[in-house]
Amino acid sequence: MTDLDVRGAVAGAAAGDADAWNALVDRYAGLVWAVARGEGLSGADAADVSQTTWLRLAEHLGRIRAPERVGSWLATTARHECWRVAKTARLVSSVEPEQLASGEAPAADAQVLEAEELQALWQALGSLPPPCRVLLRVLVADPPPTYAEVSEMLGMPIGSIGPRRARCLDRLRELVALFTSADGQPAPSGSRP
Amino acid sequence: MSDRRDDEALLGALGRAVSRHDPVPESVVAAARGGFGMVSFEAELATLVYDSYLGDEDTRALVRARGGGRELTFEAPSLTVEVEVLTAERRLLGQLVPPGPGVVEIRSPEGSVTVEADHLGRFSARDVPAGPVSLRCRGQGGPPADTEWVIL
Repeated sequence: MTDLDVRGAVAGAAAGDADAWNALVDRYAGLVWAVARGEGLSGADAADVSQTTWLRLAEHLGRIRAPERVGSWLATTARHECWRVAKTARLVSSVEPEQLASGEAPAADAQVLEAEELQALWQALGSLPPPCRVLLRVLVADPPPTYAEVSEMLGMPIGSIGPRRARCLDRLRELVALFTSADGQPAPSGSRP
Repeated sequence: MSDRRDDEALLGALGRAVSRHDPVPESVVAAARGGFGMVSFEAELATLVYDSYLGDEDTRALVRARGGGRELTFEAPSLTVEVEVLTAERRLLGQLVPPGPGVVEIRSPEGSVTVEADHLGRFSARDVPAGPVSLRCRGQGGPPADTEWVIL
């Protein structure tokens, strides 16, 4: 979706066109989910944050000042809701935040090696400090946001995204190496020798 | 320093790891699509201007000491809505300003419950759903006001 398409979809949805709304959902549902999970919320809390974020967009449709930047508006709204949920949880009970779900067991087929690599990567991602976890989750959202959107939603200059990405990937490699040396799993592709 | 090609490969593998272990649930996409039908284009929007849960640590300690009620204030051009939510009991107490009789619809994606505000604008509700909630408030005259959605 280009800027022009996004503007058109926001205008269409504001005029009551459900297809335009669904196009926005298709474009940004993955990004909103990535933000909520990257911020460390459980699946149930992330689902609430996602739904609330989309309801917020629906009620603000006619009031969005920069429709071409609706992606970063959604991501920023989702982040604020994540922080609110995190504070609410601490106030209601002192339960430790849930760990990110570790997913299902690796498939027992020819792709078992790839599955183990992905499992190790997934574990390492969950152990990254939140700023790196959020950045990397957002960058691999499906479909991925533009760098302009990432810059705006995370409040970092476009020029700093590349260097930060490189540093976060280095930390991810270190964690993968730590996990795989601990339990004998193979190192993932793309790791340093 | 790793080189850029390695970074691209690792990012690609990370994308596959995330889509394998944490894909966007279908129910989450369906809920996002359904959000479009929840909005009235006629109602005024009452924006959230105060949430006691977002105060500093001292404020939140005070809230805890007073029994944990969460206080929220929403403002629309012609109506202000003050709400206290007793989270554990799933109860809600509210006040319409200016005070006066009215009707308040407590809306959630699962459905809605309507309660009446008395002659002083006070209203209350039990069994408040957990998750996103918005109040559609009709005071005396004027358009209805929908509060921004908040997770209760």
